[in-house]
Amino acid sequence: MQRTVDHTSEQLAVRGIQVNLFRGGSGRPLLFLHGAGGAGVWLPFHGLLAQRFDVLAPDHPGFGLSGELEHIESLDDLVYHYLALLEQLGIDEVDVVGTSLGGWLAAELAVHSPRLVRRLVLLNAVGLDIWEAPVKDLFGMSPEETVAALFADPATAASLFPAEPDLDFIMGLYREKISFARLAWNPYCCNPKLESRLYRVTAKTLVVWGDEDFLVPVVHGERYAERIADARLVTMPGVAHAPFLEDAEATAKLIVDFLEA
Amino acid sequence: MDVFLFHLMPYPELPENFDDYETSWLTYPRKHFDARKGQQLYKEYLDQLVYAEELGFDGVSVNEHHQTTYGMMPCPDVMAALIVRETKRMTIAIIGNALPLRGHPLRVAEEIAVLDCVSGGRIISGFVRGIGVEYFTFGSDPTRSRERFNEAHDLIIKAWTELEPFEWISKNYRFRYVNVWPRCFQEPHPPIWVPGFGSPETFDWVAKHRYTFMSVYAPTQLQKSWLDGVRAAANRYGYDADPSQLGALFPIHVADTNAEAHAAAEQHISWLFKKGLKHKLEYLYPPGYMSMGGMRAAMTSGLRPFSEYTYQELVDEGFVIAGSPESVREQLLEAQGTLGFGTLATLLQFGDMPNDRARASMELFAQDVMPALKAAAVVAA
Repeated sequence: MQRTVDHTSEQLAVRGIQVNLFRGGSGRPLLFLHGAGGAGVWLPFHGLLAQRFDVLAPDHPGFGLSGELEHIESLDDLVYHYLALLEQLGIDEVDVVGTSLGGWLAAELAVHSPRLVRRLVLLNAVGLDIWEAPVKDLFGMSPEETVAALFADPATAASLFPAEPDLDFIMGLYREKISFARLAWNPYCCNPKLESRLYRVTAKTLVVWGDEDFLVPVVHGERYAERIADARLVTMPGVAHAPFLEDAEATAKLIVDFLEA
Repeated sequence: MDVFLFHLMPYPELPENFDDYETSWLTYPRKHFDARKGQQLYKEYLDQLVYAEELGFDGVSVNEHHQTTYGMMPCPDVMAALIVRETKRMTIAIIGNALPLRGHPLRVAEEIAVLDCVSGGRIISGFVRGIGVEYFTFGSDPTRSRERFNEAHDLIIKAWTELEPFEWISKNYRFRYVNVWPRCFQEPHPPIWVPGFGSPETFDWVAKHRYTFMSVYAPTQLQKSWLDGVRAAANRYGYDADPSQLGALFPIHVADTNAEAHAAAEQHISWLFKKGLKHKLEYLYPPGYMSMGGMRAAMTSGLRPFSEYTYQELVDEGFVIAGSPESVREQLLEAQGTLGFGTLATLLQFGDMPNDRARASMELFAQDVMPALKAAAVVAA
């Protein structure tokens, strides 16, 4: 049965960076880490998770409604940012769900602080350096090519973008692209050392992959599931790079079942 | 007024299915380069540049672009070296070395120092960031482009100025022993030119260092806004920019009659703007290459993609100057009065213009246009 869960949007200062934090629901804390897109909004998917958990969905610095990256120059700086944020909120154990760039971040967080992460969910995560199947170059794609790469059904994009974006909207996208590039331009979307460090992850892990992901081939998901001690991979048919947008209900159910089992 | 012959060295032969390619840069396959044709073009183009000395130009300009049919000069210092030993008098402006794309700024410091020493001080050293698409070519981080540019510049200037070995530590570059040999012929180093495309950060930086700003081809009104930007920045640093600190670039074609000149210019400029400058926007503007302010300015400048301009618009808006010697003379003097530049860079071979036509235009320009430009008083705008 569906019910609407209220959420709040609060502004925190984390080591001098203004952070926008969406929060809703109650129960065990669940940290949702967004990808290069999808910040600045409380999604239906968040609402579904908030029916069972205390969902924390912060915007990364440089994205959405948060302030600029400031001293954050790389993904490991972002890991330390989230360590500080969780400490500030008094959270010492958390379920972490990360998608795409946020999946990479979630994996790095679990490598850095294994005991902090109770359970880990990676949705079409980048982060691994797989030479024979690299992540496709999002930076070189036109808007049409990007939509085709992200979503199995291009109509998914229509709900996310205005039909005639104004200058401020375009500048907002440009700002997030700059932040994304700063974290992931080269080596592109990966940390060459991450794979060899995944042995440190102790959390039970669910790896979810849209089986039509053209951007991040499913071999990345297989590799995560292989290298993390207690992990399994579930593929979602008819879904591309953004399961939480393309099929929010099925994705939320997979996650809830995994976290509550 | 100082007059330079600027060259891009295009590779004009295109396959029949050229329109199937989304860009003539980055991913346009190298199979379309025929080395025998290339050898012939290099000979013609280098001969044109060397001929400029005989024709009385003050200098020539070479530049750096990568993975494109637009220009065959990925290595500007090598191009300058090829010209240095075949000339005696004129200046060779390298505009410029793309500092953030170079792995090692000290290699630039060394190459320019060698060229300046060999040429007896005939080098102008341009520093550029490279255009956006070239950040894809080298995997270089566009969000750190300006920071790398500034640091590389500071390091190179110090390497040319300091007489004792020193240690360099900055965010992007760390060298324990900097001690560049040879020394530049010009004391302490060649003049610095900086081409720009409208970034407010560039205006400020150029003005701060009192370098020469070179605009690239654009409508006259837009070029004016850029040169005004440099003049305003100079005022903020407490001085008035002299015209010698301001340069403008135009594709120029001179023929016996206006009709003849326009017919030829239309054909070859069409190649330049529709083929050579066929860009994919996402490659041209990687994130962070332009600051938020620069991007906002670009998006509201009214500048359309080059390929969308008709020839008549290019002429009307002052992108291109073509005509009889008399007409070109008038147009350039008028542009000088409007823009207030003291250095003129002339692009006399452009697009698919064949060698004999380019040389004929160069000759007419040198005989019947250049003397009037040199005789005219340079007016500050």
